[in-house]
Amino acid sequence: MKAIDMNAARMRCVAAALGALALAGCAGPAPDGGLGEVSTLAAQRIGQPVKLDASSREAAEEQVAQLLAQPLTADSAVQLALMNNPGLKASLGELGVAGSELVQAGRLRNPSIGFGRIGNGADKEIDRSVIFDLAGLLTMPVRVNIEQRRFEQAKLNAAAQVLRLASETRQAYFVAVAAAQSAAFADQVRGAAEASSELAERMSRTGNWSKLDQARERAFFDDALTQQARARHEAVASREQLARLLGLWGDRPAFTLPDRLPELPAAPLEPQNAEGSALAQRLDVLAARRDAEASAASLGLTRTTRFINVFEAGYANKSASGEPRANGYEVTLELPLFDWGGARVARAEALYMQSVHRTADVAVRARSEVREAYSAYRTNYDIARHYRDQVVPLRKQISDEVLLRYNGMLASVFELLADARDQLNAVNAAIEAQRDFWLAEARLQDAMHGGANKEQGAAQ
Amino acid sequence: MISRRDFFKGAGAVAVSAAAVSRAGAATLPEAASAADANTQVPPPPPNGRHFNPVVTLNGWSLPWRMNNGVKEFHLVAEPVVRELAPGMKANLWGYNGQSPGPTIEVVEGDRVRIFVTNRLPEITSIHWHGQRLPNGMDGVTGITQPAIAPGKTFVYEFVARRPGTFMYHPHADEMTQMAMGMMGFWVTHPKDPSQHAVDRDFVFLLNAYDIEPGSYTPKVNTMLDFNLWTFNSRVFPGIDPLVIRQGDKVRIRVGNLTMTNHPIHMHGHEFVVTGTDGGWTPPGSRWPEVTTDVAVGQMRAIEFTATDPGDWALHCHKSHHTMNAMGHDVPTLIGVDHRGVAEKINRIVPDYMVMGEKGGSMGGMQMPLPENTLPMMTGEGPFGNVEMGGMFTVMKVRPGLKRGDYRDPGWYRHPAGTLAYEWTGALPEPARSGSAGGHLMPARGQGNVELKVRKPTKGHHGH
Ligand SMILES: [Cu+2]
Repeated sequence: MKAIDMNAARMRCVAAALGALALAGCAGPAPDGGLGEVSTLAAQRIGQPVKLDASSREAAEEQVAQLLAQPLTADSAVQLALMNNPGLKASLGELGVAGSELVQAGRLRNPSIGFGRIGNGADKEIDRSVIFDLAGLLTMPVRVNIEQRRFEQAKLNAAAQVLRLASETRQAYFVAVAAAQSAAFADQVRGAAEASSELAERMSRTGNWSKLDQARERAFFDDALTQQARARHEAVASREQLARLLGLWGDRPAFTLPDRLPELPAAPLEPQNAEGSALAQRLDVLAARRDAEASAASLGLTRTTRFINVFEAGYANKSASGEPRANGYEVTLELPLFDWGGARVARAEALYMQSVHRTADVAVRARSEVREAYSAYRTNYDIARHYRDQVVPLRKQISDEVLLRYNGMLASVFELLADARDQLNAVNAAIEAQRDFWLAEARLQDAMHGGANKEQGAAQ
Repeated sequence: MISRRDFFKGAGAVAVSAAAVSRAGAATLPEAASAADANTQVPPPPPNGRHFNPVVTLNGWSLPWRMNNGVKEFHLVAEPVVRELAPGMKANLWGYNGQSPGPTIEVVEGDRVRIFVTNRLPEITSIHWHGQRLPNGMDGVTGITQPAIAPGKTFVYEFVARRPGTFMYHPHADEMTQMAMGMMGFWVTHPKDPSQHAVDRDFVFLLNAYDIEPGSYTPKVNTMLDFNLWTFNSRVFPGIDPLVIRQGDKVRIRVGNLTMTNHPIHMHGHEFVVTGTDGGWTPPGSRWPEVTTDVAVGQMRAIEFTATDPGDWALHCHKSHHTMNAMGHDVPTLIGVDHRGVAEKINRIVPDYMVMGEKGGSMGGMQMPLPENTLPMMTGEGPFGNVEMGGMFTVMKVRPGLKRGDYRDPGWYRHPAGTLAYEWTGALPEPARSGSAGGHLMPARGQGNVELKVRKPTKGHHGH
């Protein structure tokens, strides 16, 4: 190793870096590790307050107990999930990792002291060095900048996780409520079939009906039994899915669901600048943009440091026996004899352009997803309203008319019961339509605000 | 019922409106009188032409005519009409001059008759004069004896009413549809000598049938046998007027059948003889007493009796389904079926459900809401409660001391003491019963109880 002079420009660079260090040193994550910011990011998009950093375990426990005391709403289910879901807690741990890396980037590597003694008989050479990460110092502002951006991304990712959990919880909630409602209807259908079958059996016993007719009614009943069993399992399964998302276990799996899905909103959302606001709001778009910015920054860094290969500089002194101690420092610079650094810059440029294109891709996808999600939302709204305002009342009218015919002995009790089954099935279809609307609503919110689900890897 | 004066007032109003439309038309065509309701309108004695004793068309009327140079001119207008089948139910039918069936045409043997027929239907029509002797070209069979009468057109039929007797008129163009829609009418040719076959009261009605789905208004014209409304003159009980008769009157009832099945018309309290068919008067020596006469499809029957016994006597078709209104034919029998527990289960799903039929079909006076424009299956309120009848059912009210020509409803019959069935309130000893009734005549072979056994073929289906 030889000490060589550094040119003035390099020295200025170091000085600038040292100056920047003072500034970058204080830029670290907030004391809550960024959770507050994530809460805010999520709250703006979920439309209800989100509190991820529970002040105390007891307070959290109490809040959970309060939420569980009432039949769940979609919002309270989301709140519970955000407080309780273990998967989310694990994900938020990553935020801490990124935060400490940011802190790390703002610190210089500890200087190291080297001491070597080489003896050769009476002739000995003692080599002492204090090495500290000068290149680290030089590049610190840029690295802090990058880590800052990475931390920002980690926060965006964490917020995206929150949104995803919120959306999954909402969907599971609607599915579970609808399934419970359907199971209750399956009980009623079974009741209708049971009444038919029982009456048929009694008619057969009295000699008024053949075994054939009785068997047919019995077959209806058996079908209804199967349907009821399936519906009941569906209710259990969807309830369990919700329980998992809510992170409930042990002595606390008990939560009550309301008897009915929430009513449809009086009017559907209108797509006012949905695509524009999705581009401004969507976390995956924001993350892609940050990624492009980070790439731009590292491209700049690569350009400035194209000739610095080994970012090592250090204070060195050397003393050999019988010779005065030599003091100095050493910085290794690469001479661009064979590699002008062009390839590395080109790579960085390519990486930058890649991230730009990825951002564009994410944006294109986001706009299209919003359009599709709105179409699904609107279609499901119209269908659910059609069921509510047309199909179910019409079915009711048909049942009323069948009852009038039964009154006049124009129709039999079996027609009455068969029609009752049809009516119940129509109501069930209406419930499913209502459920599908709420699922589509959750997916539209996803498309407007979250959307990071499929892009998780790309932003990093 | 309508008085003679009311009747002519109505006819006058029609004439005025016709004249206002076309003076020339009024000069060449006889007025087309129209009836607006289904009341029985007792016709006045003939104002001109040969004298005859008019008939009483049950829930109907007779068509006025004009004498034109010795020719009796009538004007029938084939048109859509709304006919009340009974209070509470109306039907969109096709008929003549405002009603279905159309007005009865009454002429006298030897009359030259000219009938103008105007078609106001949306399709072609024609009129066939069922049972008449007439020139072939006047027989009214579309395509065979004449071109069809197109909508808006008027045709003229002209012939001499040669044979006295009982006749009908109906379309012979798309007749399945047009008769299912109610196009038909009665025709009576009275004998030249009014004293011949003279009776005190002469009632006429046609048997017809409709298939009108509960809750609807228009007959299903493609129904062949499963009609649900069996009618006298397109009326069902309790909408059919009573046959009001003075005790001791000689009575004739003429019935024509334009349905697609036969109807055994049954009379209570009196026996009668069949005095006329489509072919004319039956020779007195061939007549035998009856209480039921079967009127086959497309036939006419004239029955006669003396109303000796006062009272309210039922007159009806004896096919019990024909004395019902619209009913479900696929309703299973629930007699004797225990509904305990099941009814509650059904109530949970159909809250307004009520058990019916477990003791039989009787509605026991239940007032249940029904589909619109639908009559109860059996109905009618008599002096002793529910009559539980519908369809082809009415009552002959035989009373002493009625005035000649008085057809007003005299109310319910008051039974003299000792002439009314009454409840036994004494002891009810167990009757002696045979323990082995029928056992010696036809001893059962093998097991006493019938058991269902399935015999499986051993060699496929061969060997029969
Ligand atoms: Cu009959």
